[in-house]
Amino acid sequence: MSLAKLPQFLGSVNPLLKIALSIALTACAFALKSVWANVLLVGVLLVLTFVSVRVEAKSVVGVGAFLLIFTALTGTLSGDWGYAGLGAARLLVLILPALLLPATTAPGDLVRAFQAVRLPPFLVLSLMLTWRFLPVIQQEAQRIIEANLLRGVDLARRPGLWFSGLFTPLIFRIVSYADDVTVGLETRGYDPESPRSTSQPLRWRPGDTLFALGAAALLIAVGGLEWTA
Amino acid sequence: MEKSMAQRWQLKDYVFAALMTVGLAVTAKVTQPFASAIPLPGATTIAWAPFAAIFLTLGMARLRRSGAVALMAGVLALILGIISWTISAFLVAALLAAELVGLVSGGFAGKTTRLLANMAFFAATCLSGWFIGVTFLRGTPVGDLAAQWLTQPWVLAPAALVSALAGAVGWWLGEQIVFQLQRAGKLDVAR
Repeated sequence: MSLAKLPQFLGSVNPLLKIALSIALTACAFALKSVWANVLLVGVLLVLTFVSVRVEAKSVVGVGAFLLIFTALTGTLSGDWGYAGLGAARLLVLILPALLLPATTAPGDLVRAFQAVRLPPFLVLSLMLTWRFLPVIQQEAQRIIEANLLRGVDLARRPGLWFSGLFTPLIFRIVSYADDVTVGLETRGYDPESPRSTSQPLRWRPGDTLFALGAAALLIAVGGLEWTA
Repeated sequence: MEKSMAQRWQLKDYVFAALMTVGLAVTAKVTQPFASAIPLPGATTIAWAPFAAIFLTLGMARLRRSGAVALMAGVLALILGIISWTISAFLVAALLAAELVGLVSGGFAGKTTRLLANMAFFAATCLSGWFIGVTFLRGTPVGDLAAQWLTQPWVLAPAALVSALAGAVGWWLGEQIVFQLQRAGKLDVAR
Protein backbone atom coordinates (compact mmCIF):
# COMPACT_ATOMS: atom_id res chain seq x y z
CA MET A 1 0.00 0.00 0.00
CA SER A 2 1.48 3.30 -1.03
CA LEU A 3 1.01 6.01 1.57
CA ALA A 4 2.33 9.55 1.46
CA LYS A 5 2.65 11.61 4.62
CA LEU A 6 0.73 14.83 5.17
CA PRO A 7 1.67 17.46 7.73
CA GLN A 8 -0.55 16.23 10.54
CA PHE A 9 -1.50 16.18 14.19
CA LEU A 10 -0.67 12.49 14.65
CA GLY A 11 2.93 13.06 13.51
CA SER A 12 3.58 15.30 16.53
CA VAL A 13 2.02 12.96 19.11
CA ASN A 14 4.36 11.16 21.50
CA PRO A 15 5.38 7.86 19.77
CA LEU A 16 5.10 5.94 23.04
CA LEU A 17 1.49 7.03 23.35
CA LYS A 18 0.78 5.88 19.79
CA ILE A 19 2.47 2.52 20.42
CA ALA A 20 0.42 2.03 23.61
CA LEU A 21 -2.83 2.88 21.81
CA SER A 22 -1.88 0.63 18.90
CA ILE A 23 -1.36 -2.31 21.31
CA ALA A 24 -4.65 -1.51 23.08
CA LEU A 25 -6.52 -1.44 19.75
CA THR A 26 -4.98 -4.77 18.68
CA ALA A 27 -6.14 -6.28 21.98
CA CYS A 28 -9.62 -4.78 21.37
CA ALA A 29 -9.73 -6.39 17.92
CA PHE A 30 -9.20 -9.79 19.53
CA ALA A 31 -11.48 -9.24 22.51
CA LEU A 32 -14.52 -7.34 21.19
CA LYS A 33 -17.54 -9.39 20.11
CA SER A 34 -19.94 -6.49 19.50
CA VAL A 35 -20.29 -5.45 15.85
CA TRP A 36 -21.08 -1.84 16.83
CA ALA A 37 -18.02 -1.54 19.07
CA ASN A 38 -15.88 -2.70 16.15
CA VAL A 39 -17.68 -0.37 13.74
CA LEU A 40 -17.00 2.61 16.05
CA LEU A 41 -13.30 1.74 16.19
CA VAL A 42 -13.12 1.27 12.41
CA GLY A 43 -14.90 4.62 11.88
CA VAL A 44 -12.49 6.57 14.11
CA LEU A 45 -9.45 4.83 12.61
CA LEU A 46 -10.64 5.52 9.06
CA VAL A 47 -11.13 9.23 9.85
CA LEU A 48 -7.62 9.38 11.39
CA THR A 49 -6.15 7.57 8.37
CA PHE A 50 -7.72 9.88 5.79
CA VAL A 51 -6.92 13.03 7.83
CA SER A 52 -3.31 12.05 8.61
CA VAL A 53 -2.13 10.13 5.56
CA ARG A 54 -2.54 10.76 1.85
CA VAL A 55 -4.03 7.49 0.65
CA GLU A 56 -3.95 6.71 -3.07
CA ALA A 57 -7.26 5.79 -4.74
CA LYS A 58 -5.86 2.50 -6.08
CA SER A 59 -4.88 1.49 -2.52
CA VAL A 60 -8.45 2.13 -1.32
CA VAL A 61 -9.82 0.05 -4.21
CA GLY A 62 -7.31 -2.75 -3.53
CA VAL A 63 -8.07 -2.96 0.21
CA GLY A 64 -11.82 -2.67 -0.46
CA ALA A 65 -11.68 -5.54 -2.98
CA PHE A 66 -9.67 -7.69 -0.55
CA LEU A 67 -12.18 -7.05 2.26
CA LEU A 68 -15.14 -7.87 -0.01
CA ILE A 69 -13.54 -11.17 -1.10
CA PHE A 70 -12.59 -11.97 2.52
CA THR A 71 -16.14 -11.26 3.77
CA ALA A 72 -17.80 -13.15 0.90
CA LEU A 73 -15.54 -16.17 1.42
CA THR A 74 -16.09 -16.24 5.20
CA GLY A 75 -19.84 -15.71 4.82
CA THR A 76 -20.12 -18.49 2.23
CA LEU A 77 -18.00 -20.94 4.24
CA SER A 78 -19.66 -20.25 7.61
CA GLY A 79 -23.17 -19.43 6.35
CA ASP A 80 -23.30 -16.61 8.94
CA TRP A 81 -23.03 -13.15 7.38
CA GLY A 82 -23.01 -11.33 10.75
CA TYR A 83 -19.95 -13.37 11.71
CA ALA A 84 -18.37 -12.57 8.34
CA GLY A 85 -19.00 -8.83 8.85
CA LEU A 86 -17.52 -8.98 12.35
CA GLY A 87 -14.42 -10.73 10.93
CA ALA A 88 -13.98 -7.97 8.31
CA ALA A 89 -14.37 -5.20 10.95
CA ARG A 90 -11.83 -6.94 13.21
CA LEU A 91 -9.41 -7.24 10.32
CA LEU A 92 -9.68 -3.48 9.71
CA VAL A 93 -9.10 -2.75 13.42
CA LEU A 94 -5.93 -4.85 13.14
CA ILE A 95 -4.73 -3.37 9.83
CA LEU A 96 -5.39 0.37 10.27
CA PRO A 97 -3.18 1.03 13.35
CA ALA A 98 -0.42 -0.97 11.63
CA LEU A 99 -0.62 1.47 8.70
CA LEU A 100 -1.10 4.63 10.74
CA LEU A 101 1.72 4.20 13.25
CA PRO A 102 4.66 3.78 10.82
CA ALA A 103 3.22 6.40 8.42
CA THR A 104 2.96 9.06 11.15
CA THR A 105 6.15 8.26 13.11
CA ALA A 106 9.59 9.32 11.89
CA PRO A 107 12.40 6.78 12.50
CA GLY A 108 14.24 9.37 14.62
CA ASP A 109 11.18 9.82 16.86
CA LEU A 110 10.96 6.08 17.29
CA VAL A 111 14.61 5.83 18.34
CA ARG A 112 14.04 8.67 20.83
CA ALA A 113 11.01 6.78 22.16
CA PHE A 114 13.09 3.63 22.67
CA GLN A 115 15.72 5.71 24.46
CA ALA A 116 13.06 7.29 26.67
CA VAL A 117 11.93 3.85 27.89
CA ARG A 118 15.55 3.22 28.87
CA LEU A 119 16.28 0.37 26.50
CA PRO A 120 19.94 -0.72 26.77
CA PRO A 121 22.19 1.50 24.59
CA PHE A 122 23.35 -1.45 22.46
CA LEU A 123 19.72 -2.24 21.62
CA VAL A 124 19.06 1.38 20.64
CA LEU A 125 22.16 1.19 18.40
CA SER A 126 20.86 -2.02 16.77
CA LEU A 127 17.42 -0.48 16.21
CA MET A 128 18.91 2.71 14.81
CA LEU A 129 21.17 0.81 12.39
CA THR A 130 18.33 -1.46 11.28
CA TRP A 131 16.01 1.52 10.61
CA ARG A 132 18.79 3.39 8.81
CA PHE A 133 19.95 0.52 6.61
CA LEU A 134 16.64 -1.09 5.73
CA PRO A 135 15.98 1.34 2.82
CA VAL A 136 19.67 1.25 1.80
CA ILE A 137 19.73 -2.56 1.55
CA GLN A 138 16.36 -2.56 -0.23
CA GLN A 139 17.87 -0.19 -2.81
CA GLU A 140 20.86 -2.51 -3.19
CA ALA A 141 18.50 -5.46 -3.73
CA GLN A 142 16.60 -3.42 -6.34
CA ARG A 143 19.87 -2.57 -8.14
CA ILE A 144 20.86 -6.25 -8.23
CA ILE A 145 17.41 -7.20 -9.58
CA GLU A 146 17.72 -4.52 -12.30
CA ALA A 147 21.25 -5.67 -13.18
CA ASN A 148 19.85 -9.18 -13.65
CA LEU A 149 17.06 -7.79 -15.84
CA LEU A 150 19.66 -6.14 -18.07
CA ARG A 151 21.17 -9.60 -18.59
CA GLY A 152 17.74 -10.99 -19.46
CA VAL A 153 17.12 -12.69 -16.09
CA ASP A 154 13.76 -11.82 -14.56
CA LEU A 155 14.19 -12.92 -10.93
CA ALA A 156 10.50 -12.34 -10.14
CA ARG A 157 9.66 -15.24 -12.46
CA ARG A 158 12.62 -17.45 -11.51
CA PRO A 159 12.81 -18.01 -7.72
CA GLY A 160 15.33 -20.79 -8.39
CA LEU A 161 17.91 -18.11 -9.21
CA TRP A 162 17.29 -16.01 -6.11
CA PHE A 163 20.19 -17.54 -4.20
CA SER A 164 22.92 -17.12 -6.82
CA GLY A 165 21.44 -14.06 -8.55
CA LEU A 166 20.17 -12.00 -5.63
CA PHE A 167 21.14 -13.18 -2.15
CA THR A 168 24.82 -14.01 -2.77
CA PRO A 169 25.73 -10.55 -4.19
CA LEU A 170 23.44 -8.86 -1.65
CA ILE A 171 25.16 -10.58 1.28
CA PHE A 172 28.59 -9.56 -0.03
CA ARG A 173 27.34 -5.94 -0.12
CA ILE A 174 25.85 -6.24 3.39
CA VAL A 175 29.12 -7.60 4.79
CA SER A 176 31.01 -4.72 3.15
CA TYR A 177 28.55 -2.25 4.69
CA ALA A 178 29.04 -3.89 8.11
CA ASP A 179 32.82 -3.39 7.83
CA ASP A 180 32.48 0.22 6.66
CA VAL A 181 29.94 1.16 9.34
CA THR A 182 32.07 -0.43 12.07
CA VAL A 183 35.16 1.48 10.95
CA GLY A 184 33.09 4.70 10.72
CA LEU A 185 31.70 4.30 14.24
CA GLU A 186 35.04 3.19 15.73
CA THR A 187 36.89 6.20 14.29
CA ARG A 188 34.24 8.50 15.80
CA GLY A 189 34.82 6.93 19.22
CA TYR A 190 31.33 5.39 19.44
CA ASP A 191 30.83 3.20 22.51
CA PRO A 192 27.82 0.84 22.35
CA GLU A 193 27.77 0.49 26.14
CA SER A 194 27.45 4.24 26.83
CA PRO A 195 24.06 5.98 26.77
CA ARG A 196 23.29 7.98 23.63
CA SER A 197 22.77 11.71 23.89
CA THR A 198 20.05 13.48 21.92
CA SER A 199 19.57 17.08 20.86
CA GLN A 200 15.77 16.72 20.95
CA PRO A 201 14.74 14.55 23.91
CA LEU A 202 11.22 13.20 23.96
CA ARG A 203 8.88 15.46 25.97
CA TRP A 204 5.23 15.33 26.96
CA ARG A 205 3.33 18.10 25.12
CA PRO A 206 -0.19 19.54 25.54
CA GLY A 207 -1.16 17.76 22.29
CA ASP A 208 -0.24 14.45 23.92
CA THR A 209 -2.66 15.13 26.80
CA LEU A 210 -5.39 15.93 24.29
CA PHE A 211 -4.65 12.73 22.34
CA ALA A 212 -4.58 10.62 25.52
CA LEU A 213 -7.96 12.04 26.64
CA GLY A 214 -9.46 11.39 23.19
CA ALA A 215 -8.11 7.83 23.15
CA ALA A 216 -9.48 7.19 26.66
CA ALA A 217 -12.91 8.55 25.64
CA LEU A 218 -12.90 6.28 22.57
CA LEU A 219 -11.98 3.19 24.61
CA ILE A 220 -14.67 4.00 27.21
CA ALA A 221 -17.27 4.39 24.43
CA VAL A 222 -16.17 1.10 22.84
CA GLY A 223 -16.32 -0.62 26.24
CA GLY A 224 -19.82 0.78 26.80
CA LEU A 225 -21.03 -0.57 23.45
CA GLU A 226 -19.51 -3.98 24.16
CA TRP A 227 -21.11 -4.01 27.65
CA THR A 228 -24.60 -3.11 26.43
CA ALA A 229 -24.37 -5.66 23.60
CA MET B 1 40.17 -18.07 17.88
CA GLU B 2 37.03 -19.21 19.70
CA LYS B 3 34.95 -16.52 21.33
CA SER B 4 34.26 -17.36 24.94
CA MET B 5 30.87 -16.73 26.55
CA ALA B 6 32.49 -14.27 28.96
CA GLN B 7 34.06 -12.14 26.21
CA ARG B 8 32.36 -8.76 25.81
CA TRP B 9 30.30 -7.99 22.76
CA GLN B 10 32.09 -5.52 20.54
CA LEU B 11 30.80 -2.73 18.34
CA LYS B 12 31.46 -4.78 15.19
CA ASP B 13 29.25 -7.59 16.58
CA TYR B 14 26.31 -5.24 17.11
CA VAL B 15 26.73 -3.73 13.65
CA PHE B 16 26.94 -7.14 11.98
CA ALA B 17 23.88 -8.40 13.87
CA ALA B 18 21.91 -5.26 12.94
CA LEU B 19 22.71 -5.74 9.25
CA MET B 20 21.69 -9.39 9.45
CA THR B 21 18.40 -8.15 10.96
CA VAL B 22 18.00 -5.95 7.89
CA GLY B 23 18.62 -9.06 5.76
CA LEU B 24 15.90 -10.94 7.67
CA ALA B 25 13.47 -8.06 7.09
CA VAL B 26 14.31 -7.89 3.37
CA THR B 27 13.76 -11.66 2.95
CA ALA B 28 10.38 -11.31 4.70
CA LYS B 29 9.40 -8.65 2.17
CA VAL B 30 10.73 -10.57 -0.86
CA THR B 31 8.97 -13.82 0.09
CA GLN B 32 5.74 -12.17 1.26
CA PRO B 33 3.79 -12.92 -1.98
CA PHE B 34 4.67 -16.63 -1.65
CA ALA B 35 3.95 -16.69 2.10
CA SER B 36 0.49 -15.17 1.64
CA ALA B 37 -0.35 -18.04 -0.73
CA ILE B 38 -0.08 -20.51 2.19
CA PRO B 39 -3.48 -20.37 3.94
CA LEU B 40 -2.51 -21.99 7.28
CA PRO B 41 -1.46 -19.72 10.19
CA GLY B 42 2.15 -20.39 11.23
CA ALA B 43 2.93 -22.53 8.19
CA THR B 44 3.50 -19.35 6.16
CA THR B 45 7.07 -19.35 7.53
CA ILE B 46 7.84 -22.24 5.13
CA ALA B 47 8.27 -19.66 2.34
CA TRP B 48 10.41 -17.35 4.49
CA ALA B 49 12.63 -20.00 6.12
CA PRO B 50 14.99 -20.98 3.24
CA PHE B 51 16.08 -17.37 2.75
CA ALA B 52 15.87 -16.05 6.32
CA ALA B 53 17.96 -19.00 7.53
CA ILE B 54 20.83 -17.80 5.32
CA PHE B 55 21.09 -14.61 7.39
CA LEU B 56 20.59 -16.42 10.69
CA THR B 57 23.37 -18.88 9.78
CA LEU B 58 25.68 -16.07 8.73
CA GLY B 59 25.04 -14.17 11.95
CA MET B 60 25.53 -17.28 14.10
CA ALA B 61 28.74 -18.19 12.23
CA ARG B 62 30.16 -14.70 12.67
CA LEU B 63 29.05 -14.00 16.27
CA ARG B 64 29.37 -17.64 17.45
CA ARG B 65 28.17 -17.20 21.03
CA SER B 66 24.83 -17.52 22.77
CA GLY B 67 22.72 -14.41 22.34
CA ALA B 68 23.50 -14.08 18.62
CA VAL B 69 20.02 -15.16 17.50
CA ALA B 70 18.40 -13.05 20.23
CA LEU B 71 20.28 -9.99 18.99
CA MET B 72 19.19 -10.53 15.38
CA ALA B 73 15.63 -11.80 15.78
CA GLY B 74 14.93 -9.78 18.95
CA VAL B 75 15.53 -6.47 17.18
CA LEU B 76 13.32 -7.66 14.30
CA ALA B 77 10.62 -8.60 16.83
CA LEU B 78 10.86 -5.16 18.42
CA ILE B 79 10.49 -3.41 15.07
CA LEU B 80 7.71 -5.65 13.78
CA GLY B 81 5.96 -5.26 17.14
CA ILE B 82 5.02 -1.79 15.95
CA ILE B 83 2.97 -3.44 13.20
CA SER B 84 1.59 -6.29 15.30
CA TRP B 85 2.64 -7.71 18.66
CA THR B 86 1.53 -11.18 17.50
CA ILE B 87 4.46 -11.21 15.03
CA SER B 88 6.78 -10.25 17.90
CA ALA B 89 5.34 -13.01 20.06
CA PHE B 90 6.08 -15.80 17.58
CA LEU B 91 9.55 -14.39 16.82
CA VAL B 92 10.39 -14.31 20.53
CA ALA B 93 9.19 -17.92 20.94
CA ALA B 94 11.36 -18.94 17.97
CA LEU B 95 14.47 -17.12 19.17
CA LEU B 96 14.09 -18.75 22.60
CA ALA B 97 14.04 -22.18 20.94
CA ALA B 98 17.18 -21.38 18.91
CA GLU B 99 18.95 -19.86 21.92
CA LEU B 100 18.16 -22.99 23.92
CA VAL B 101 20.08 -25.01 21.31
CA GLY B 102 22.96 -22.52 21.53
CA LEU B 103 22.94 -22.65 25.32
CA VAL B 104 23.07 -26.46 25.39
CA SER B 105 25.90 -26.53 22.80
CA GLY B 106 27.87 -23.66 24.37
CA GLY B 107 27.41 -21.24 21.48
CA PHE B 108 26.94 -21.40 17.72
CA ALA B 109 30.52 -22.12 16.66
CA GLY B 110 29.72 -25.59 15.27
CA LYS B 111 27.95 -26.22 11.97
CA THR B 112 25.69 -28.86 13.52
CA THR B 113 24.62 -26.46 16.25
CA ARG B 114 23.75 -23.87 13.61
CA LEU B 115 21.72 -26.47 11.71
CA LEU B 116 19.82 -27.51 14.84
CA ALA B 117 19.28 -23.89 15.89
CA ASN B 118 17.83 -23.04 12.47
CA MET B 119 15.55 -26.07 12.52
CA ALA B 120 14.40 -25.25 16.07
CA PHE B 121 13.83 -21.60 15.13
CA PHE B 122 11.60 -22.31 12.14
CA ALA B 123 9.74 -25.24 13.68
CA ALA B 124 9.02 -22.93 16.64
CA THR B 125 7.79 -20.12 14.35
CA CYS B 126 5.37 -22.59 12.78
CA LEU B 127 4.11 -23.98 16.08
CA SER B 128 3.90 -20.65 17.90
CA GLY B 129 2.22 -18.99 14.89
CA TRP B 130 -0.36 -21.76 15.02
CA PHE B 131 -0.76 -21.39 18.79
CA ILE B 132 -1.19 -17.61 18.53
CA GLY B 133 -3.67 -18.09 15.72
CA VAL B 134 -5.77 -20.38 17.90
CA THR B 135 -5.41 -18.56 21.22
CA PHE B 136 -5.74 -14.95 20.22
CA LEU B 137 -7.75 -15.08 17.02
CA ARG B 138 -10.46 -17.42 18.31
CA GLY B 139 -13.82 -16.09 17.26
CA THR B 140 -12.45 -14.80 13.96
CA PRO B 141 -12.56 -16.83 10.71
CA VAL B 142 -8.77 -17.35 10.67
CA GLY B 143 -8.64 -18.37 14.34
CA ASP B 144 -11.50 -20.82 14.01
CA LEU B 145 -9.89 -22.38 10.95
CA ALA B 146 -6.60 -22.68 12.88
CA ALA B 147 -8.41 -24.25 15.84
CA GLN B 148 -9.99 -26.82 13.55
CA TRP B 149 -6.62 -27.77 12.08
CA LEU B 150 -4.76 -27.77 15.39
CA THR B 151 -6.80 -30.74 16.55
CA GLN B 152 -5.34 -32.68 13.62
CA PRO B 153 -1.78 -33.78 14.52
CA TRP B 154 -1.32 -35.21 11.02
CA VAL B 155 -1.41 -31.61 9.73
CA LEU B 156 0.46 -29.82 12.53
CA ALA B 157 3.42 -32.22 12.81
CA PRO B 158 4.23 -32.32 9.05
CA ALA B 159 3.87 -28.50 8.84
CA ALA B 160 6.38 -28.03 11.68
CA LEU B 161 8.66 -30.63 10.08
CA VAL B 162 8.50 -28.94 6.68
CA SER B 163 9.27 -25.57 8.36
CA ALA B 164 12.29 -27.14 10.08
CA LEU B 165 13.44 -28.69 6.77
CA ALA B 166 13.02 -25.35 5.01
CA GLY B 167 15.24 -23.89 7.74
CA ALA B 168 17.75 -26.69 7.08
CA VAL B 169 17.82 -25.79 3.37
CA GLY B 170 18.50 -22.17 4.36
CA TRP B 171 21.24 -23.34 6.72
CA TRP B 172 22.91 -25.27 3.86
CA LEU B 173 22.73 -22.19 1.61
CA GLY B 174 24.03 -20.04 4.47
CA GLU B 175 27.02 -22.33 4.99
CA GLN B 176 27.82 -22.03 1.25
CA ILE B 177 27.91 -18.25 1.63
CA VAL B 178 29.98 -18.51 4.81
CA PHE B 179 32.49 -20.59 2.84
CA GLN B 180 32.54 -18.09 -0.06
CA LEU B 181 32.94 -15.12 2.29
CA GLN B 182 35.69 -16.88 4.18
CA ARG B 183 37.50 -17.72 0.94
CA ALA B 184 37.22 -14.07 -0.11
CA GLY B 185 38.73 -13.04 3.24
CA LYS B 186 35.55 -11.20 4.24
CA LEU B 187 34.58 -13.30 7.25
CA ASP B 188 36.50 -14.73 10.17
CA VAL B 189 34.50 -17.73 11.36
CA ALA B 190 34.94 -21.10 13.01
CA ARG B 191 33.93 -24.05 10.76
